[in-house]
Amino acid sequence: MISHKDSMRILIADDDEDDRAFFSDAMMELKMNNELTLFNDGKELMDYLANPDIILPHLLFLDLNMPRKSGFECLKEIRSDLRFKEVSIAIYSTSSSEKDIEETFVEGANIYINKPNDFSKLKKVVKEVLNINWQFHSSGLNRETFFFSI
Amino acid sequence: MKLAKLYKNSQVFKIALGIAIAVVGYIACVFYTQMRSLDSSVDIITNATETQLELERVLSIISIYETNLRSYIITKDESYLEKRFLRRGEIETNLKRINVLVANNPARVKDVKRLNKLIDYRFKLFRETLLLAKSKMPNSEVLNAKLQESNDFTELMKNYVYKTINAEGDKVKIHNNNHQFELQDSIISAFLLVILSLLILLLSFNKMNVDIYELKRANDELKFLNHSFNNAEKIAGFGHWKINLETNTYSFSDNFFRLLGLEPQSFVPSLENISKYVHPDDIEYVTQMHLDSLVSYNPTSLMYRFVLPNGDLKYVMSVGSFTRNGKGQMVKTGVNYDMTEQYKRTIELEENNKELISINEELESFNNIVSHDLQEPLRKIQMFISRIESTEVDSISEKGKGYFYKIRTSANKMQTLLIDLVNYSRTIKGDKVFENTDLKELVYHVIDDLSSDIEEKKAKIDLGDLPTVKVISFQMEQLFINLISNSLKYSQEDVAPEISIFSEKIDKNEVFDNEIITDQDYYKIVVKDNGIGFKQEYAEKVFILFQRLETGSKYSGTGLGLAICKRIVDNHNGFIKVISEPNVGSTFSIFLPKKA
Repeated sequence: MISHKDSMRILIADDDEDDRAFFSDAMMELKMNNELTLFNDGKELMDYLANPDIILPHLLFLDLNMPRKSGFECLKEIRSDLRFKEVSIAIYSTSSSEKDIEETFVEGANIYINKPNDFSKLKKVVKEVLNINWQFHSSGLNRETFFFSI
Repeated sequence: MKLAKLYKNSQVFKIALGIAIAVVGYIACVFYTQMRSLDSSVDIITNATETQLELERVLSIISIYETNLRSYIITKDESYLEKRFLRRGEIETNLKRINVLVANNPARVKDVKRLNKLIDYRFKLFRETLLLAKSKMPNSEVLNAKLQESNDFTELMKNYVYKTINAEGDKVKIHNNNHQFELQDSIISAFLLVILSLLILLLSFNKMNVDIYELKRANDELKFLNHSFNNAEKIAGFGHWKINLETNTYSFSDNFFRLLGLEPQSFVPSLENISKYVHPDDIEYVTQMHLDSLVSYNPTSLMYRFVLPNGDLKYVMSVGSFTRNGKGQMVKTGVNYDMTEQYKRTIELEENNKELISINEELESFNNIVSHDLQEPLRKIQMFISRIESTEVDSISEKGKGYFYKIRTSANKMQTLLIDLVNYSRTIKGDKVFENTDLKELVYHVIDDLSSDIEEKKAKIDLGDLPTVKVISFQMEQLFINLISNSLKYSQEDVAPEISIFSEKIDKNEVFDNEIITDQDYYKIVVKDNGIGFKQEYAEKVFILFQRLETGSKYSGTGLGLAICKRIVDNHNGFIKVISEPNVGSTFSIFLPKKA
């Protein structure tokens, strides 16, 4: 059982430097007691996760369109490994295509977030997503709540 | 009616004719036998009469003889005896004639023999009497006795001859009576024969006349049919062919030859001759299929090429099937269509299709660029704008702030445009899954999604009853989002927007693209507002891509919203129209087919 009360371990994999910066800025400004680790692409993320000694994260933000290893590939690999079954995965992408939403849902992502175009919106998104009771959200997986609308 | 039908039926007529001929034949036979018997009775009567005559002649000769002898005895004049032998000869010829006449009657032949003996005996008596009379000393007593005996014998002979004559006379009488009857019968028979023959002749003539008339008419019709068929072949570009399997003879229509670029009937129709014109690549397959069908009697449908004498290719569709002709012989008949034009057009279409597909692919990748790749940098611009706005804006000069907000407006405008473009392209391509959807519920969701805008504008939305229709639900959602957003956007400045959405019976039939829209076939859904409206003359224009009426900065728009609506309604085989009046409002009517 993962408790979110104190500190959450959060990972984000995004090849866009600016987006990574926006994200960590938003986290900082929210002043939530969280531990954020940034990865430049999917390959870097998976290399890190491959290490059995690491402490598993609570929540992982995945960009879809990344070089070397796409977010979709990462999602598949993580969901096929039972070690990560407690890790919640949020897709974090510019794309709002039905195809991407459908496929990541089927592959076992927990939530789908469209990258916002406003910093205050981003903060709102991060805050709300971090405050979700993930256990409840995961057990009640459905198509309606999968796509996160601000 | 019935009789006429019977009359026309050749079978019945044949039977009637047969019977009539049999009856006539029978009557003719009867008539013939009657004539024959008539003929024979005439013969018999003639025969009998002649026999009588001959017998009488014999008697008269004997009488003359007797008279001459008596005259001699009295006068002793030798001249009375001169013709004695002559008379005897006469009797002989008479008797010979009688013998011939009675040859058919055995009883009469006997009679004649007896008569012959009687005559012989009589002449013996003549000679004895003559000898007595010539003697020097005639004993008158003996002579008288001889004369007496001669006299008696003559009487006896006369009686005998008369008996025979009478018998012949009776025969004549009987035959004469019979002859009368037979003659009457014959007349009746002959009359019947003539009448019946005439009747048959008349009937046959009439029937023949009718038949000839019918034949002529049928023939004329056939000729005309043939003529129009030939014309039809020419016009429609097909030729027909026929193969008699029994006689293995081929026949091709005139236009069949024309299709080959040849004069009609310019070669003897045969498999071998036609094969010369089939494209070398097709010949094996065509011949094989054709010959197989001649065994299996399965219909054929072949597409192949002819090489015309001028080198042109002709694409032909040849279909054939089997039937039996009037003689019960198996015949394969078929038609060759000229498919060259169609074939060329198909090729052209295929090429166009390929081109279209590649254009579509390009459009799709273009769409991807718009929806994703363009949005990515724009989003970043907006992100940085929002960051500057929240923390750095105070350190910019007033002029700089003005520029900065213009940048923000333009970036936002660009974003709406991009989203609209994506939405528009999604109405062209993408999944078109029709499912039964409660439109009221759907519009309710839309209102919910737009709630912040609605609150901001203090708009009043009135949602009436809407039907459940088979639609592409995400497109329908888009349609109502666009219409309601439009109404909110183009509201009058100091009037709270009032938007009503409801369905309505189609009272007056509408016409779109020559199609009559009735309440029976269509739902009518109305979205009505009290916004700024526009002049009715623009009613068609608003649905055209990138056509915007309001150009002032007050109203932001991409010119895509209503074009998207039109597309969506088109996708549902429906129609959309608007009635509007400036400063009063617009009423959009959507017509959706009840049967999708």
